[in-house]
Amino acid sequence: MSRIQIFDRAMCCSTGVCGPQVDNVLPRFAADLDWLAKQGHQIERYNLAQDAGQFAGNATIQQKLASEGVECLPVVIIDDVIVGQGDYPDRDQLLFWLGKAPSGEVATTSKPTGLPVTGDDCCGGSGCC
Amino acid sequence: MPLTENSTRHLFFTGKGGVGKTSMACATAVQLAHSGKRVLLVSTDPASNLDEVLGCRLGHTPTPVDGVDGLDGINIDPQIAAAEYRERMVQPYRGVLPDAAVRSMEEQFSGSCTVEIAAFDEFAKLLGDDTATSDYDHVVFDTAPTGHTLRLLTLPSAWSGFMESSTTGASCLGPLAGLQAQQAIYKKTVEALGDGDQTTLVLVTRPETSAFAEAARSSDELRQLGVLNQRLIVNGVFTASDEGDRVAAAMQKRGDDALEQMPSNLAELPRLSVALSPSGVMGIDRLRQVGRADHEGSGADAGSPLEVSLSSTELPGDLSDLIDGIADKGRGVVLAMGKGGVGKTTVASAVAVALARRGFDVHLSTTDPAAHVAATLASESLERLTVDRIDPAAEVEAYRAEVLATAGDDLDENGRALLEEDLRSPCTEEIAVFRAFAQSVAAGTDRFVVLDTAPTGHTILLLDSAMAYHREVSRQGSEVPESVQQLLPRLRDPDFTQVLIVTLPEATPVHEAAKLQEDLIRAEIQPTAWVINQSIAPLETTDPALQRRQSHEQAYIDEVKALSGGSVALVPWQLEPPTGVDALSKLGQRHHAPLQSRS
Repeated sequence: MSRIQIFDRAMCCSTGVCGPQVDNVLPRFAADLDWLAKQGHQIERYNLAQDAGQFAGNATIQQKLASEGVECLPVVIIDDVIVGQGDYPDRDQLLFWLGKAPSGEVATTSKPTGLPVTGDDCCGGSGCC
Repeated sequence: MPLTENSTRHLFFTGKGGVGKTSMACATAVQLAHSGKRVLLVSTDPASNLDEVLGCRLGHTPTPVDGVDGLDGINIDPQIAAAEYRERMVQPYRGVLPDAAVRSMEEQFSGSCTVEIAAFDEFAKLLGDDTATSDYDHVVFDTAPTGHTLRLLTLPSAWSGFMESSTTGASCLGPLAGLQAQQAIYKKTVEALGDGDQTTLVLVTRPETSAFAEAARSSDELRQLGVLNQRLIVNGVFTASDEGDRVAAAMQKRGDDALEQMPSNLAELPRLSVALSPSGVMGIDRLRQVGRADHEGSGADAGSPLEVSLSSTELPGDLSDLIDGIADKGRGVVLAMGKGGVGKTTVASAVAVALARRGFDVHLSTTDPAAHVAATLASESLERLTVDRIDPAAEVEAYRAEVLATAGDDLDENGRALLEEDLRSPCTEEIAVFRAFAQSVAAGTDRFVVLDTAPTGHTILLLDSAMAYHREVSRQGSEVPESVQQLLPRLRDPDFTQVLIVTLPEATPVHEAAKLQEDLIRAEIQPTAWVINQSIAPLETTDPALQRRQSHEQAYIDEVKALSGGSVALVPWQLEPPTGVDALSKLGQRHHAPLQSRS
């Protein structure tokens, strides 16, 4: 069983449903993590707004933020190896990583996430949080 | 029933702005202290005027009130509380995390949820933590206007349930995550609110049908939240001293009629009637007299000589002049803004009716949860005018359904449960209503859309979120609805949006409206004009109390003239409640000749 760590951008809902536009990726991803947890994997999910200590305490993440800014988030780490950044993987991708991990290969995708998740976006920039 | 009879340890005052809630809270606190008790008076109202009523400056921590032994006061400003909370959350990471990350955190804690939570947190400290107030026999809360108060009161139960059921630990706790440690205090707060031996809820209202309806709604809502120990203060009861005076007789009749038709759930409550105070209730001496037998009777301005100097200054023009200017635009949005209880609904309805009568297509819509637009128009129909209400509960439901249908569509049962859990977050209503607001504004491109917005605090939240969106959209520009993208530019365009600030010729409403104007200007929205509603200044009366009231109004009318740069309309108090198309049409027409024209 693996330890899966997700370092999210600053947002208030892991599902992103508080946004002006619902992004299907976030709730699906939250559900996938939930499913993996039920398989026995250890899931740790940290959000920059609420768990900044975890970001500050992780040298790898610190370094990434310093060199690439908050755009590198979300970062997915499996068993201490960064496997993905900048976007949320789907279930197949997660399973692939878990099968291959630790591969040391960094997967990036340039697919934009529909929900704006920077700045005021606790709730997709609704300013509600 | 005197004001201080059977006082519990906690006393909550609730009611719309302008009903005299602060005066009643202050009077109760002053009288309790006067009877030898140690009292703490707390305001969590962002537009608090405790200082004004008590005639002294209060701080963010308990401050002794001048001239009253045993009374301390606190003004909790939610904005300041939120800023402090934000700083507590972010400060440890300055210089530790990169600047961009810190900025991103700061922005996250800049929204309205944070303000809401920070205010509630302060309030919970006092109610849920006995040691914080152990020096006092009584804690008197002058709470914010109804909608806001209700939110504060519903949060703890909603959120404590939310925290308990949030199993994944990665849910939509929002800024509350930083307050998990307070959970025990929140729980105690909820318990304290529901315990009738500890807590009394005092509903303050005026002898007016719409004010009673609002109070009845609050009473029910709070009863459902377990706050059962309630009492009622009817403030501003008027008795005519000369039955032959048309205005005085009408004012008494309107009050008597409203009292007679009081909703049954209010009629059952222990009640105190407080006579209309022609010159407002300010200062410790006056506060001591409130609700006492010798204070009753409308001539009760003890000791003030009956010298009525009717000002020779000109009264402002009519609503009709204002409507002419709006009609010239041919289309666009009219926002009637102001605190609850100043008659925004009435003014918005009158403007809508007048525009429709002039041959324009008009849509009237309200976001005020306490609105009675439909009731005001008394279900009459008028050609070219459509009316609807943005009902927060219905909006939330629609939004939830939409989210579950789109995002939740391909989720398994567990995924859906998780999603539904997040949809129970306090953010959801804010967003749902906001989207509806944006859509209403968008409809103003081919007609007139008249919106009667919610009370100040909420209005500002809406504007805030509009600005947050706007910044976001400037950066992202994708997948955000057109109506939302266009909202702030539209609100800022003086050719598209006409903002009317509605107030009453009284201290608190004028000062609250001045704050609202500042907020708008900060948001780069320039108010078009002010409307002074329910003024008795232009009416002909010989009733001494009403004449005193007329001269009392002058100072506030002059203040509004200065605040509005002269762009102001005056709506006279109506002998008959302004309901229905005809009565509303009258508001938009020329009113009585001003006083000074009597020779």
